[in-house]
Amino acid sequence: MIVRLVASRIALAAVTLVAVSAAVFLFTEILPGDIAARVLGRESTAEQRQIFRDRLHLDRPVYERYGIWLKNAVQADFGRSLVSDQSVTAIVAPKARDTLFLAAFAFVLYVPVTLLAATLGAAFRGRAVDHVTSVLTLVGLSLPEFVLGLLLIYVFALQLGWFPALSVIGAGGGFLDRLQSTFLPAVTLMVAMSVYAIRMLRDNLIEVLDSEYVRMATLKGVPRRRVVLRHALPSALGPALNVTALNLTYLIGGVVVVERVFDYKGLGWSLVDAITNRDTPLIEAIVLLGSAVYIAANLLADVLALLLNPRLRTS
Amino acid sequence: MLVGSGLLVVFLIVSVTAPWWAPHGVAETVDTPLMGMSWAHPFGTDVLGRDVFSRVVNGARDDLFLSIVSTLVAVVVGGIVGLVSGYVGGWLDELLMRVFEAVISIPLLVLALLAIAAAGPERSGSWLLLIGVVVLVYAPRVARMARSIAVDLVTRDFVLAARLRGESVRSIVRRELLPNATGVLLVEFGVRAGYTPILIGSLGFLGFGARPPSPEWGLMISENRDGLLAAPVIVLAPALSLAVLVIALNLCADGLARYLGRQAVRTP
Repeated sequence: MIVRLVASRIALAAVTLVAVSAAVFLFTEILPGDIAARVLGRESTAEQRQIFRDRLHLDRPVYERYGIWLKNAVQADFGRSLVSDQSVTAIVAPKARDTLFLAAFAFVLYVPVTLLAATLGAAFRGRAVDHVTSVLTLVGLSLPEFVLGLLLIYVFALQLGWFPALSVIGAGGGFLDRLQSTFLPAVTLMVAMSVYAIRMLRDNLIEVLDSEYVRMATLKGVPRRRVVLRHALPSALGPALNVTALNLTYLIGGVVVVERVFDYKGLGWSLVDAITNRDTPLIEAIVLLGSAVYIAANLLADVLALLLNPRLRTS
Repeated sequence: MLVGSGLLVVFLIVSVTAPWWAPHGVAETVDTPLMGMSWAHPFGTDVLGRDVFSRVVNGARDDLFLSIVSTLVAVVVGGIVGLVSGYVGGWLDELLMRVFEAVISIPLLVLALLAIAAAGPERSGSWLLLIGVVVLVYAPRVARMARSIAVDLVTRDFVLAARLRGESVRSIVRRELLPNATGVLLVEFGVRAGYTPILIGSLGFLGFGARPPSPEWGLMISENRDGLLAAPVIVLAPALSLAVLVIALNLCADGLARYLGRQAVRTP
């Protein structure tokens, strides 16, 4: 039963991913103008352009080219960059590592901050702590990543000098240096991610705290702290998990903005660069990767929810 | 809600009337570049010596007006498509939902960037393109929600009765389904409208939204960021305007939701 459910979710995710790849391919292929003339410049000869078109199979119909592209993409071959002529995979891999580092750092900050703020808000509902968190999350919700990032740069880099203003990475330096230079972008992302989750988790917690089994625990004389942490929190976490996965759609966009603000040369930075240069294969690879991460995270959250909550399996 | 709508009214008035009372033009070089706050230039002057105050108040039009119009179009389009699709059902519904699912799976801002790249450099910066991008990004999400409402309503008696009366799809969607979906769609509009300025500002900041010399706030922030140390106010003024605008929109959305007895759920 559960195996079949999980299998069907995985199949659905795979179908979605293929549909996304088709959408992405179509989007980038309708870029107006002759790609050959654009990349090779106006002085190129007709012969050079023809060679270029042959290499990219540009004379074949769209669906055939999509087929070729998809077949190669499955084998992690996204062709060559139109700008640098390097293999796209070779360009993307190290950037993906750097972006992963940033995202992981943000996530490590995100979990405790979200849990703490939401739990405090719910446990002291209607009191000062709750009001403060609710105002802070509303403000956080309303600050675009680039505004928050620039504010952090202004205060902590330019005024206090605790962190570098731009996180240029890869220039030697140890792990601690790297943490220091990635801290501000990670905090920016963390805030962007946690404001939604804090609100959601707080509301869920309050709902659970009002439920009968929690009241039962309280009446049994279980200490308040234990009631909140042991009885209420676990069952409120499930939906928050789903929200976290859905919110990745904002987070991935946030990565693009944050990487530009801090000049952190990861995937998001490269995406903007690739769009500016109209480097089609690179755009396709990065967008597909971002979508795949989103789809995979939601699949994971779905499956975890199925495992955690048996009631979901019956419907 | 009161604070939110009050602020919003101020923003609206500013956005409409700014061209008449702003001391300087948006593209006019008036003084030495990178000056701090002063009586002559309350928000200082930018890298090109333009009056930031005049630019910020004129930018309200780009950010507020554009946000509200584009969100409205997106919710209307998405709402209608979703209701019709959910009501009609069958293979069309299945196909539409698969397509929307795929579009939604491309992260929001990334999809917007992709669409702008596809539109090409000639069209970049035009209001029409930005509205189109917002519609492309939001409409599938709204449609998916509207569809679930429609699917839920189709089995109700009053819809069945209308169908048996022989009413057309158009009239059933308009007269039976839409009134029941209005509340949800209004809240959806409020919540989405609160995010649109961030989207438009982010696109401007990345260089894919408004074009210079437009006073759009995101673009202005990216143009002025090199002056952050010399004259912080030229970055802070558009940044805080954007933040306060979004706070006002969010407060209004929360108030609207409470008034309609619903919850303002901020999910993608």
